[in-house]
Amino acid sequence: MAGSPRDERAWVRGAQNGSVSDLESLFRHHWPRAYRAAYLVVHDSAAAEDIAQEAFLAAVRSLDRFDRRRPFGPWLHRIVVNRAIDWSRARTLRREAGEAGIENVAAAAAPDSPHARSLAEALAELSPEHRAVIVLRHLLDYTPGEIADLTGLPRGTVNSRLRRGLDHLAMRLGEEVQ
Amino acid sequence: MTQWRDPAPGEHEAGDRTWEIVRRAYDERVRVPHKRDWRPVVAIVVGVAVLAAAFSPPGLAVFGSLRDAVRGAKNAKPALASLPAVGRLLTESRAGVWVVQADGSKRLLRGYRDAAWSPHGKYVAAVRGSELRAFEPNGAVHWSLGRTARISGPRWSFDGFRIAYFSGATLRVVNGDGTGDRLLTRDVRPGPSAWQPGRHTLAYVNRAGNIQMANVDKRDRTSTVRTSAAPKQLAWAPDGRRFIAVQDHAVEVFWQRGPRIGGLDRGAATVEAASIAPDGKHFAFVETKHGRSSLRLTGLLGGPTSPIFSGAGAFANVLWSPDGRWLLLDWQSADQWLFLRTPVKKLRAVSNIRANFGADPTLAGWCCP
Repeated sequence: MAGSPRDERAWVRGAQNGSVSDLESLFRHHWPRAYRAAYLVVHDSAAAEDIAQEAFLAAVRSLDRFDRRRPFGPWLHRIVVNRAIDWSRARTLRREAGEAGIENVAAAAAPDSPHARSLAEALAELSPEHRAVIVLRHLLDYTPGEIADLTGLPRGTVNSRLRRGLDHLAMRLGEEVQ
Repeated sequence: MTQWRDPAPGEHEAGDRTWEIVRRAYDERVRVPHKRDWRPVVAIVVGVAVLAAAFSPPGLAVFGSLRDAVRGAKNAKPALASLPAVGRLLTESRAGVWVVQADGSKRLLRGYRDAAWSPHGKYVAAVRGSELRAFEPNGAVHWSLGRTARISGPRWSFDGFRIAYFSGATLRVVNGDGTGDRLLTRDVRPGPSAWQPGRHTLAYVNRAGNIQMANVDKRDRTSTVRTSAAPKQLAWAPDGRRFIAVQDHAVEVFWQRGPRIGGLDRGAATVEAASIAPDGKHFAFVETKHGRSSLRLTGLLGGPTSPIFSGAGAFANVLWSPDGRWLLLDWQSADQWLFLRTPVKKLRAVSNIRANFGADPTLAGWCCP
């Protein structure tokens, strides 16, 4: 599954015309990074699944109106990252409010991959907004200018969050992060 | 930093689960054809109409029709002659509970409130004073149950064998024959509750504002479904696999024990009520924003949200007919009910609802072929 922009446009067009296989190609191509981005911001596999799932369902709802000239990825990632930030903020607020029962539903992920052991742990020490910028830059490969467009943040804020976040990761992970 | 490329925990399994949901949502979506943008044309037409109104007698007629639109649907019937589909309606007002038959005949059960149909419409559960009563639509009381705390919100289970109701700040359950009354929980916000079809499992809102599921026969079987805001209405799809939670500005869709699988964030609009179609594939909802209200339809598993009807003022509620062919819209501020054939082909309006049913009329249920 190459996933070039041309492939992507063809999948979107096919899905708009009723092709389930094109929809599946689009889904399989974008799911890993959408889920991973959500996970690295929220650190909760159940919530990451919810968030990425909602983003894809939103995509299906808007499919007939989607402008095929626009790239699909940034549109999807904007939804994922914004919802992940919202979810993290809401969880923080609930914890501050001392709400009982949140542990029932926010099941902690088992440390069964390198993400859970190191990268995710280091990211977890940052604020959700910092995590999101780092994830957009290093997982999803957006430029700082593109991140500013996606998040609606000033370019300077994106750069400062990136710098601070990367300094933190480098310190925690013991390696230079560019 | 190679770890960026490593899969996150649960990534593959979650992907497989989500693909199934996305594929179903895709299959069930309501397709919206690409439309030409008519807004510039409409703006010109409206402008011409305004000028015409200012300068000519025919133009004044245009203002007249606009005024009618604000007041409600034109050509409304002054009274409900008959229902457009099979079944019976339950409606409430300050006078009591009304049972409306398909032929338009109606009976007032004076002094009752908070009424609910039994599963096949043979009985009604309602509250009178400090008593919960089960009676036939002709008013013959089968049993009653008194409590000191205020009773509200009775709901029958799918088989009629259980009734859940609120008593003060507690949630209680009684058998359908009036026996076995017991406390279910004190951890509840009185208001919304809904029985899962096919089970004795009740969904309600706990004090924290999340949805609690409880099998009323097996007290250890409870689960919690988190919500972003406390729901004001809960409703199950007929297959019992999904349910919706209506919040002030959103409608969330969940699998039977969570997680959230979709929903609508309506932003500044206030969602008043929602109703799942008998086919379980769609739900209709009414919302209000800036003094106007809309009735909209969308897929339970996603798809576009299609406007069905909009008007000035407040829409209070919407119900599906038992055969799923009609929507009944309570246009409260226009004092009208609108029966809308779906897909929208016909509209039947009935006016003078307050005069016909009494002050503060509300829809309580449309039941049973």
